[in-house]
Amino acid sequence: MSGETAAVRTLDYRLSPLPVRGDLVAAQQRAWARLAAPGEWWSGAVRLAIAEETRAAENCGFCRERRAALSPYAAAGTHETATDLPDVLVEVVHRIRTDPGRLTRRFYEEALAGGLGDAEYVETVGVIATVIAIDSFCDAMGLPRHRLPAPLAEEPRRRRPAGAKEGLAWVPTVAPEDLTDAEAGMYDGLSAVNIHRALSLVPAEVTGFFDMDSVHYLPDGQLRDYGTEYRALTHAQTEFLAGRVSAINHCVY
Amino acid sequence: MLLRESGEHTGDDYELAAMVAGDGTGGGVAAGAALTAYADSFYEEGRAGFAAARNRLHEEIGGEALVDAAGVLAIFNAVVRVADATGIPLEEQKAEVSADFRGELGINDYPAASGKV
Repeated sequence: MSGETAAVRTLDYRLSPLPVRGDLVAAQQRAWARLAAPGEWWSGAVRLAIAEETRAAENCGFCRERRAALSPYAAAGTHETATDLPDVLVEVVHRIRTDPGRLTRRFYEEALAGGLGDAEYVETVGVIATVIAIDSFCDAMGLPRHRLPAPLAEEPRRRRPAGAKEGLAWVPTVAPEDLTDAEAGMYDGLSAVNIHRALSLVPAEVTGFFDMDSVHYLPDGQLRDYGTEYRALTHAQTEFLAGRVSAINHCVY
Repeated sequence: MLLRESGEHTGDDYELAAMVAGDGTGGGVAAGAALTAYADSFYEEGRAGFAAARNRLHEEIGGEALVDAAGVLAIFNAVVRVADATGIPLEEQKAEVSADFRGELGINDYPAASGKV
């Protein structure tokens, strides 16, 4: 049995009382397999530790205390961890998981000052977002969460896009006109708007995350096709719910 | 912003304030009140009311649409973190066309809006 097959076997919805669309299941299985595989900068083991820590953050007393504080910098304490990840990575994972609406450039710069590389940071964000999306789907359906897959024992690829530039966001990003052959397909099927560029310092996180996004939300080409409903949930209902989730999280998107 | 565009296409005048404030009126969107309750209870500490809100939404929109709704909620719970953790700004054009309602609805006052709009 291949590693990918093993990862996929930890994720299915056969016991769901409501049928789950096949494209949703397939996209989540691909994402689950990616979690277990080495990325550009992290091994599969570290990626899964980040996923595990993402889950642990939900029950971290210090995160709860900090979220209740007037400023995230007003609370002092120690995270309740589930892994042996370095402190800087634990802080990044817990903060993004539990208090995203108050992240600032200072938070990002402190992560770099703590020893995290910018591309390692971006890959970490991609892993956190992947496990949150799939766990949230289970929670939103009232179903148990999936067991995390076993890591694959290969080395990270460690390739940085040559066209990455500072300026658009806190993290360096790659504009469509700066793509090289190495990451030529990164924006295929995407309009390369800013949210697509957010993870572009690690191209595999762009293709991976938006592979999931297009089936949970809508593919780019269908977003503004208001004359056709592609899902049982209408465009208006989809946008209303998406906007409500953004508002609850105090996100401008 | 896409909700407003969607309403312009169909001739519906959706209340963006209801979406942002979560006032429970539903903003003129079909099952909007149930969608609001579904999202709001998902984020409540302990999620005590979530099962009831999900059952209500199921009754109002059916099982297939409920699965779609779970997908949208799930992916946006992740998208907001991608946006907020990377400091990615709104595009200038989007910032311009949304300036009126962002100001009115208090979106510009979110801590995460700093430097992004």
